[in-house]
Amino acid sequence: MEIFVVIGVIALLAIFIVAQYNRLVRLNISVDEAFAQIEVQLKRRADLIPNLVETVKGYATHEQSTFDAVVAARAKATSATGVADVAAADGALTQALRGLLAVAEAYPDLKASTNFLALQEELSTTENKVAFARQFYNDNVRSLNEAVATIPTSFFAGLAKVSARPFYEVEDPQSREVPKVNF
Amino acid sequence: MASNFRSAQGANKRKTYFLLAAMGLLTWLVAYAALTYFGAGTTTFVVPLAVGIALVGVWGSYYGSDKLVLTMTGARVIQREDNPELFNLIEEVVIASGLPMPKVAIVEDSAPNAFATGRNPEHALIAFTTRILEVMDRDELQGVIAHEMSHVANRDTLVSAVAATTAGAIAILSDFLTRMMWFGGGRDRRNSNQNPLLLIVSLAILILAPIAAMLLRSAISRRRESLADATAVSFTRNPAGLRRALETLAADSTVVRQRSNAVAHIWIESPLDGKSVSKLFSTHPPIEERIETLRAMESLGPQQ
Repeated sequence: MEIFVVIGVIALLAIFIVAQYNRLVRLNISVDEAFAQIEVQLKRRADLIPNLVETVKGYATHEQSTFDAVVAARAKATSATGVADVAAADGALTQALRGLLAVAEAYPDLKASTNFLALQEELSTTENKVAFARQFYNDNVRSLNEAVATIPTSFFAGLAKVSARPFYEVEDPQSREVPKVNF
Repeated sequence: MASNFRSAQGANKRKTYFLLAAMGLLTWLVAYAALTYFGAGTTTFVVPLAVGIALVGVWGSYYGSDKLVLTMTGARVIQREDNPELFNLIEEVVIASGLPMPKVAIVEDSAPNAFATGRNPEHALIAFTTRILEVMDRDELQGVIAHEMSHVANRDTLVSAVAATTAGAIAILSDFLTRMMWFGGGRDRRNSNQNPLLLIVSLAILILAPIAAMLLRSAISRRRESLADATAVSFTRNPAGLRRALETLAADSTVVRQRSNAVAHIWIESPLDGKSVSKLFSTHPPIEERIETLRAMESLGPQQ
């Protein structure tokens, strides 16, 4: 009789440990996936930039410094790795793009061109997607870090080789708001 | 009662559990009343039959909800090329929610409205009337999409199927038993010397239960609407967009030309005339109340 009780308790304990372990691993994978999604959206944005710069150049020839800033920020953003670096480069590129769109504001012909309007829609949806991907990543990091820090999951963090992950923080406080460009 | 979206989500989920438990209790009460009135012989036969009929009826419409609703509302599935801007917006909310991309459909209608359906996130479908796409700006439409994707995330098709099954089973049961009563059949003789008061109470329960079940079903639907509003804010972190969208819907008096009242509960704004349906039976909370809740969230400032 006792042997069944002992086996039962061991089985329950095993199920409990496996559940905690799997929860941590799953949360950790979600964070990886969420970060991959940020990178996908950042890549999309980077791909839009050459076209955008070319279009603006066609109308605004005397703004070389703004173009250079965007191209330099883009180069940095595409080569960055790791959460902190990617976030910093992302923030810088957002700033540079805001400068470029501010320049466009001064050229009525540019603002009226269909090519530019299409690019502008693409850019604003991509900015939104980047912002939502960041938010989704941070929500996942928050769940993971909570699990790593709270009982009972905290006991198994070492076993599952899972630890707290960094938040994706963009330095520019304005960048949480999607740039509202009304042309 | 200013609350952020997290506490609003928690409160609405708790209330749903409470209401579903009340629904279970009601089913049990009806079975108990039947047992008192008719005795064990009839009840063991009738209760499973009623539940079975309700299950078969609801399961089909739950499982095929994405296809069924298309025919019932006349919605037409569209592809990315048909409306890239709408797809851009939906993709934004999809990224924010972490859900798979749903199917998208359009309903030709002069009333602004939208709905979501599908048995699980993999079979989700969200639909918009042509009018809502015309009248709403980007932020408003994003709020509406987030509300619909919240129904997908919260599996509201399943919740309403469960509510419909229990309410349906109770209605069928009550119908069976009251009919049997009029014909005097089914009552066990050994029960006829039972306490008459108990019999009257059982009778009252049998007659009133379908109405109570209807009320509970509407209350569950209202909680799921409030929950979807709160979850929408958790996706967009922009209560103002959805709030302005609801204001636009409230200001517009045109109503979707319904093909069937059976799908009234799935729209973001109830297509049933507010006057003809009492507040207790309505499937949506009053739109002013929803606007107020969102306004309270706005007053909390940007949330992480």
